[in-house]
Amino acid sequence: MKEPEGTTPRERMKNAMNFRKVDAVPWCESFYEETLIKFFSEGLPAHKIIDVEWAMSLDGHLLANWPKFMGFDPNSYFECLNYMGCPVPVDIGPIPRFKQLKIREDAKYEEYIMETGARSRRFKKELGKITWYTMPQFLEFPVRDKKSWERYKKRLNPKDPRRYPKDWEKEGYLRLFDEYQNGPTTLTITGFYGFGAELMGIPNFNLAFYRDPELIEDMVSHWEYFTIESLREAVETFKDRIDLVFWWEDMAEKHGPNISPKLYKEFLLPHCKRVTKFLSKNKIHRIMMDSDGNTQPILDLVIEAGITGHWPLEVNSGMDVRTLRKRYGKKLFLAGNLDKREIVKGGEAMRKEIDSKLPLMKETGGYIAGLDHLVHVEFTLERFKEYADCLKEKLVIQ
Amino acid sequence: MEDLLDKIAYALANLEDSSSLKKFINQAVKKKLPTLEILEKGLRKGLSEVGRRYEAGEYFLSELLFGASMMEEAMKILAPQLRAEKLEKKGQIVLGTVRGDIHDIGKNIFKMFAEGAGFEVYDLGVDVDPENFVRTAIEKNPDALGLSALLTTTTPEMRIVIEELEKAGIRDRVKVLLGGNAVTNQFGEEIGADAVALDAVQGVDFCKEWTK
Repeated sequence: MKEPEGTTPRERMKNAMNFRKVDAVPWCESFYEETLIKFFSEGLPAHKIIDVEWAMSLDGHLLANWPKFMGFDPNSYFECLNYMGCPVPVDIGPIPRFKQLKIREDAKYEEYIMETGARSRRFKKELGKITWYTMPQFLEFPVRDKKSWERYKKRLNPKDPRRYPKDWEKEGYLRLFDEYQNGPTTLTITGFYGFGAELMGIPNFNLAFYRDPELIEDMVSHWEYFTIESLREAVETFKDRIDLVFWWEDMAEKHGPNISPKLYKEFLLPHCKRVTKFLSKNKIHRIMMDSDGNTQPILDLVIEAGITGHWPLEVNSGMDVRTLRKRYGKKLFLAGNLDKREIVKGGEAMRKEIDSKLPLMKETGGYIAGLDHLVHVEFTLERFKEYADCLKEKLVIQ
Repeated sequence: MEDLLDKIAYALANLEDSSSLKKFINQAVKKKLPTLEILEKGLRKGLSEVGRRYEAGEYFLSELLFGASMMEEAMKILAPQLRAEKLEKKGQIVLGTVRGDIHDIGKNIFKMFAEGAGFEVYDLGVDVDPENFVRTAIEKNPDALGLSALLTTTTPEMRIVIEELEKAGIRDRVKVLLGGNAVTNQFGEEIGADAVALDAVQGVDFCKEWTK
């Protein structure tokens, strides 16, 4: 029997993001692979491993572009959604990729050239002893100056046919997106700060705004052109079948934004606006910024740029859905913000954290529940199940 | 003289074109102004104002980094004088990211800012064993030991370092400063740290206070 309109996971997400009525607040989480491995070691039953649409593909092309614990879908298992459940298959990385290469290792570390061209060092896998997953230590970045940028830019050709699947066939994908209902159809964009910081490193990118503004202008202008032109085919084909744009920035730390509002306004805002205008012209309005840290001093400008949602709202950095809702109302749908430090305690502390935020969010709408970051390794399987059971019960709207 | 020193402080505090700052410093050197005066009443006054504006939310990381890098450039101009005059440092700091953690952005920003403020910093790098912290603290006898951790999973290492300092009998000789995304004031109190810094500027302020 077909579910009533608005009660499929995808419809529920769309309604929530659009401040429309929902029967239950949607719940989204993302998991560190390290956490999942730990869950297995704690007795996640093998017979519960579900092989579902993670491997969603069309004629052999895998759509999901994220390293996965193959054969296990934690979101299905815990009955929560994934922002990347149904990604639009456009490759916005450097083409050709840098060849990932291990260049040296010792008893403890491995040093790599990454696919982005950065040189990095990470711990060798030593499960149960040290944290080996998480961000590596970056030793060198591919863009350092005008010359290295010009070299890198050659890999950012939006017209490269490899940006779309070999079997790219519009009708087939449209049919697939219609049939695939387990969560939102998501288009990923790397924002202008995230793009530059990834290529140059945070300190060097930040300094370049002062030391070499011409380089910054050239980089962000090209990124605007590249983003629009590489996505044009997908955006103009799918239009509002794209439910969510996941706009990765990571532009803040605990103290505040990495970049001042003044620099953002001068260098990034005009380019952001042109990208969001392009999306808006194609009826795509739900654009969620992914940034850790305290973004508040810059949020007015981010909203002016055309961003309409924000995740994960880290409590440790002073982010609070109650304050943001009061300040921005329906201008910003909100996602996450359940304090992982309280939730991981379980019991009363966990319930108190959920109860302090969820009622207002249910009442005002425009909210997707979840932790204020990925599910990290401090969660035991038992504790995460306790959280899942408690939250699911509370998400329902009477 | 005061006028030129004020210009140096103003150029740094307002993050003017770094060529202006270089010009003023060269003028000060040419006029044979005491190096200590150029440092204290010019550069450090300016850098301190950058830190104040950062704390007040007028400046952000971008400005903090630019201010610290202007200071680094200025110090290069003054290097011959500094070598000749052998000016005393404000104090010494031993610094590192704790064992199991290889994040270093925050630590490096703190280092830049602390050096700009006149401290000698011994940076042990990332993934530093407690034994290494203790051994260096014994060797260098620093005023402060800065421990950084981004991950909540590695903050217990900070407690181990403090315990090892106690075992070595030098806990009373060195102030322990914690920094990084994962640490909180409550955690600092629990493990007996002397201070927890929310950011680089606050961390340097604690060190200044301890070396007054």
